Amino acid sequence: MSTPALKRVVVVGNGIAGLTAAHTLREAGFDGELTVVGDEPHPAYSRPALSKALLLDGDDLTSHTLPPASHGASELLGVRATGLDPDRRRVTLDDGTALPYDGVVLATGSRARRLSELPDEVTLRGLDDALALRRRLAKRPSVLVVGGGPLGMEIASGCLAAGCPVTLVSQGPPLAVQLGLHLAQIFTAAAREHGLTVVQGGPARIEGRPGDARVTLDDGTVLRAEVLLTAVGDLPNTEWLTGTGLVVNGAVPVDARGLARPGVAAVGDLAAFPTPQGPRRIPLWSSAIDQAKAAARALVHGDDAPPLAFQPYFWTEQFGRTLKAVGQLPAAGEPVYADGEPGGGPALMTWRQEDGSTTAVALDHRIPVPRLRRLTRAPA
Amino acid sequence: MRIVLDRPRCEGHGLCEEAAPQLMHLDDEGELVLDREQVDGGDAALAQAAARVCPVAALRVE
Repeated sequence: MSTPALKRVVVVGNGIAGLTAAHTLREAGFDGELTVVGDEPHPAYSRPALSKALLLDGDDLTSHTLPPASHGASELLGVRATGLDPDRRRVTLDDGTALPYDGVVLATGSRARRLSELPDEVTLRGLDDALALRRRLAKRPSVLVVGGGPLGMEIASGCLAAGCPVTLVSQGPPLAVQLGLHLAQIFTAAAREHGLTVVQGGPARIEGRPGDARVTLDDGTVLRAEVLLTAVGDLPNTEWLTGTGLVVNGAVPVDARGLARPGVAAVGDLAAFPTPQGPRRIPLWSSAIDQAKAAARALVHGDDAPPLAFQPYFWTEQFGRTLKAVGQLPAAGEPVYADGEPGGGPALMTWRQEDGSTTAVALDHRIPVPRLRRLTRAPA
Repeated sequence: MRIVLDRPRCEGHGLCEEAAPQLMHLDDEGELVLDREQVDGGDAALAQAAARVCPVAALRVE
């Protein structure tokens, strides 16, 4: 049953978070007027695929597609929200429209952090970015990737597979901050075997003029390439919420049901939700889905809706290797082997983390993810 | 309606099983098994929900 007061809901954002929220509202019984606003002209797609299969799959450009939406919402695509008035309950759009609401879902996600304003610096965040990069890779240009996180490494892997010479600049060992040193070393070894040149240094700067940009490191090293791509984190798209009091430290803090205020849900990459480590943004695919489901139910059912019960799930594919991880990352120290053995080959591993939680990792090891989740509940 | 699995694409993330455990599950090797392929009514909606959370576009409902 819908709460009587909930007649109009506006979902701002049409990524997987907004899409899932819209469908879950319907599943939860909301049968009122639903509007979805998306700033991209495309229907929702799988963002994780952009830096993986979409860079690789020959002429097949469908690895990112999602089934058509069936939520029956009015979809306003290619339109950007420019403001929110929480007192009058209106979302304003860049085409001048004002959308009144009883409930609103803030799901505008995040964008790539940049190191410069130079057009030479490209990032991979949206579908258009990925398609543009694919087109450039066809000519096998030299590629310089700045950023040693999972995204930078996946892109480097895709560029190498496309036949490009690739150099990757990383602060410290690639992936160490995100995965922990043990796993980072395994992937970095695979990267080098595939021909990746890794340059470790301090913070990188991008300098020069449009058409003639270069990367400069602390020690004076200067690097250039035909394609200069940065993957140095994301920034939540919260500017349109300026003045609402909803934004704290660049994100929208929410309660355990994804609500920032009564009638205002925030889900996906811009939301900081309660975790055992404190309020955190967890910009991952399954995180967006779980947040969106919990928050949409809370809009419809209030406190009767169950709070979010989230356990991080992360995967990556790069340099011919795959990793699936349930639980906190990075994984510090050495693992316990549930299957396989030390040496970096296929294995099923667990780590007991400092906070007492367990992280389970499948490396080149096909396993049902529910079983991986169960491993995190067994003593490590 | 019918659920169609593009098996080479499936990577065993299991989000579909979480969305529609009545219709599909991962076996011990992490391979997806469709317990039902023909779906109608509420089950078709469930199958769509499963397809929609697949990050590698391995499921279609047609």
